[in-house]
Amino acid sequence: MRATLALLCLFGFAPQARAEARISEIKIALDGDRVLATFTLRNAFDRRLSERIDSGLPTAITYRFELHRDRKRWWDRKLEESTLEVVAMYDAVAREYTVHSKLDGKLIESRTVRDKKALESAMTQVGQLPVFTLTGLPHDRRLLLKVRAELGSRTILALIPETIDTDWKESSKFRPPRPPA
Amino acid sequence: MRLRESFDRHRKNHRLILGGLALLLLLFTGLFYMAQRGRELPAFLVTNRVLLFVLWYVNVVLILVVLFVLLRNLFKLLVERRHRVLGSTFKFKLVATYVGLSLIPVLVLFAIATELLQGSIDRWFNTPVAPVLEQGNAVAQALYDQIERTNLRDAGRASAELGGFDLHAAQARPRLTRRLQELQRELDLDLLAVYEGREFVQAVLDSQSGLSDLPEPEHSFLDQAAAEGRATSIRERPGIPGSLLLAAAATPLAAGAEPDAPPPVVVVAGTLLDPVLAEQRQKLVQGYQTFRQLEVQKDDLRASHLLLFLMVTLLILLASSWVGLYLAKQVTVPIQALAEGTRRISGGDLAHRVEVVADDELGVLVQSFNRMTEELESNKELLERGNRELTESNRRLADERAMIAAVLENLAAGVVSIHSSGRIFTCNSAALKMLRQGEPEVVGRRPEEAWADRERGRLAELLREESGRRDAREVHMLLGGEWKTFEVKVTPIADASGVVQGRVMVLEDLTELIKAQQLAAWSEAARRIAHEIKNPLTPIRLAAERLLMKHRQGDPALGTAIDEGVEIIVREVVTLQEMVDEFSRYARMPRPRPTHVDLSKLVSETLHLYRNLKPGVEIGHQVDGGLAPAWIDGEQIKRALINLLDNAVEATDPPGQVSVSAHQVNSHLEIRVSDTGRGIPAESKEKLFLPYYSTKGRGTGLGLAIVHRIVADHHGSIRVEDNVPRGTVFTVELPG
Repeated sequence: MRATLALLCLFGFAPQARAEARISEIKIALDGDRVLATFTLRNAFDRRLSERIDSGLPTAITYRFELHRDRKRWWDRKLEESTLEVVAMYDAVAREYTVHSKLDGKLIESRTVRDKKALESAMTQVGQLPVFTLTGLPHDRRLLLKVRAELGSRTILALIPETIDTDWKESSKFRPPRPPA
Repeated sequence: MRLRESFDRHRKNHRLILGGLALLLLLFTGLFYMAQRGRELPAFLVTNRVLLFVLWYVNVVLILVVLFVLLRNLFKLLVERRHRVLGSTFKFKLVATYVGLSLIPVLVLFAIATELLQGSIDRWFNTPVAPVLEQGNAVAQALYDQIERTNLRDAGRASAELGGFDLHAAQARPRLTRRLQELQRELDLDLLAVYEGREFVQAVLDSQSGLSDLPEPEHSFLDQAAAEGRATSIRERPGIPGSLLLAAAATPLAAGAEPDAPPPVVVVAGTLLDPVLAEQRQKLVQGYQTFRQLEVQKDDLRASHLLLFLMVTLLILLASSWVGLYLAKQVTVPIQALAEGTRRISGGDLAHRVEVVADDELGVLVQSFNRMTEELESNKELLERGNRELTESNRRLADERAMIAAVLENLAAGVVSIHSSGRIFTCNSAALKMLRQGEPEVVGRRPEEAWADRERGRLAELLREESGRRDAREVHMLLGGEWKTFEVKVTPIADASGVVQGRVMVLEDLTELIKAQQLAAWSEAARRIAHEIKNPLTPIRLAAERLLMKHRQGDPALGTAIDEGVEIIVREVVTLQEMVDEFSRYARMPRPRPTHVDLSKLVSETLHLYRNLKPGVEIGHQVDGGLAPAWIDGEQIKRALINLLDNAVEATDPPGQVSVSAHQVNSHLEIRVSDTGRGIPAESKEKLFLPYYSTKGRGTGLGLAIVHRIVADHHGSIRVEDNVPRGTVFTVELPG
């Protein structure tokens, strides 16, 4: 009973006690047809995540990208979606962190870092990531990118699993580049 | 057809149950297998998010299913109770008991097990192992930290000393090598290498360290050293005995350095850790990591175990609730059907049958109930048919009774029926008229009550007599100052099995008939008298005419003729005189003057006259010794006896027998005179008691008429019957 009450308290007050993870402003750059996204995930490296990584468990932060067509006075239309999974693993013997980044299941980068700051940077800073290709999309359409990060899961009342994630963050609207004349 | 459908449904039910049980068994086996395998699985697989979510959703589905099953049945029960469905209260109690019996233990067990599980998980991480592992890991890391610091310091010193060397000059290489060897020995390093950027320049190895070849440091390591001025690395690779701890030091390029400036010189110092120590450190670190992993996953681990346990609990709950509901239904459905059946049958619907299939005692009960209902229905049909037949029979009987009553009412004869209870059942109008009574005085009363007076009491006496006697009796009564003569016949009424159910008494008023008979008798008597008188008158007339003729002719034999004629005339006149005297005696027979007479003595005296009268004819008598004195006119009765005995003796040829008996029979005296003579033809018996009727061809023919007259004057009766084996019996009955 005490455990349940404690969990209830934890569940009720913990979210308010710690800062919520959030995604900073998304910067969109266009490289030809490719949409390059740059953003930072803030307040993600809390004690839970840090302890989990240090324990040597493979720990992932999953970024979900959605490309939407902006529509006025109506819901946006989702055009494409993409996933970036950043998995960190700590080798306690070698005392270094290996960070693998997979875009839609395809390994795009693998890094080894030896300190936490570098690790946090490797996991939370996304720079110039080509998330979508705008081939075939009309240039006059207004588009926007939505990003959400999933930081694993926790349990409510010691029983109910819940995904820890951020709110959807929207980029500024942009248009596909005009095709060369 | 219905039986077949029931059988199929029943069989389907069984299949469903068996299938469900098999599925549950399979599920439990799978869960058990998974639990067993789960021990061997890495923790991160057990606490995998996907697994957690799958378990959670399975549990949610199970909770919903259990709730659905329970709430659905609860709702149904409540609706049934609200609508007061027969048997719903019993069903509610039974289901509540079954479900409660399955729910409560399972929930209590779940609560206890959950608490135990949580407690156990908490205890795992609260044991002294945690600080020990933590301290061990800290020691191991401190050792590495120390070696790394030393290596960094040594690498820094070497980097500082080698700063003056021109690494690109070939003549400087030997000196560089010597200096590296000196530093390696001086700093007690296992490896000392020089790089320019990523480019290898020179390296020395401790020949006793066991390193056969220079391990190539990773570019990132060199890059970091070049960029930051220092870097450390630990290498554990095949071919390297133990752990090789590397530290790199460099003079980073100045911020404003030219892009094409030569890369900084990186000096790498390496210390090879003893393999045994390295292995121990590795195990220590790995053990600590494993512990940390478990600790980090404690909540997930607890959640996965709880979810798994909850799933098993819910499955058990679902199974037990379902089985409980099923069992309750197995009991309540037949009982409900029986209750409904009872209600329907009590409402008169005997065609209703309970359509419930059950193998157990309830099935037997249902079958018995249906059999009972069938019997009730058939019995009801029989009863209705019987009732219809009875009604018809009653109607017919009523018609017949009405007919009989009408017949009885219209009969000239009086008919009185007496029930076996001894009470008068019916008495028709003729009887009431004869007896001068009203119906209320007679019907429903006992004969002794209805006919309490002396005159009518004779009828009650007749009824008291033996019922086997079926001959008619003459009864004389003084009713309303008038003598009435009735012929009374009492007949027992027996049913088909011969049991006497009562008696019927038929009264025939003979008063007028007797008067008519008497008139006829007198006419006959006058005719016979005339005829008898004619017989002597003819010889008298002939004798007189002969005398007259003799006298006119002057016949000389007139004197003789006168003598003969007078003699004839006198003789015939005497005959006439005797005849007249006899008739006078018959006609002037006085009314009886009864006195108390010893009948036994009277019979003996009378018989005495006939002793040895006719040889070969034996005269006997049999008179009750204790015979009470009879209230009769002794002389007249004696005369009647003499007449009867005269006839008997005369009719009996030797050897023969004439006997007289006298008995008290109920309330009257019975005198029987029997002989073994010729007997009397049937056609003569009716006229036997008429005056001047004789079968002998001689005599006056008044003997039996006088006997009849005497007996009638005593209000008695006389009848003639054939004696067995031959002869005749005259029976005289006199009131006692």
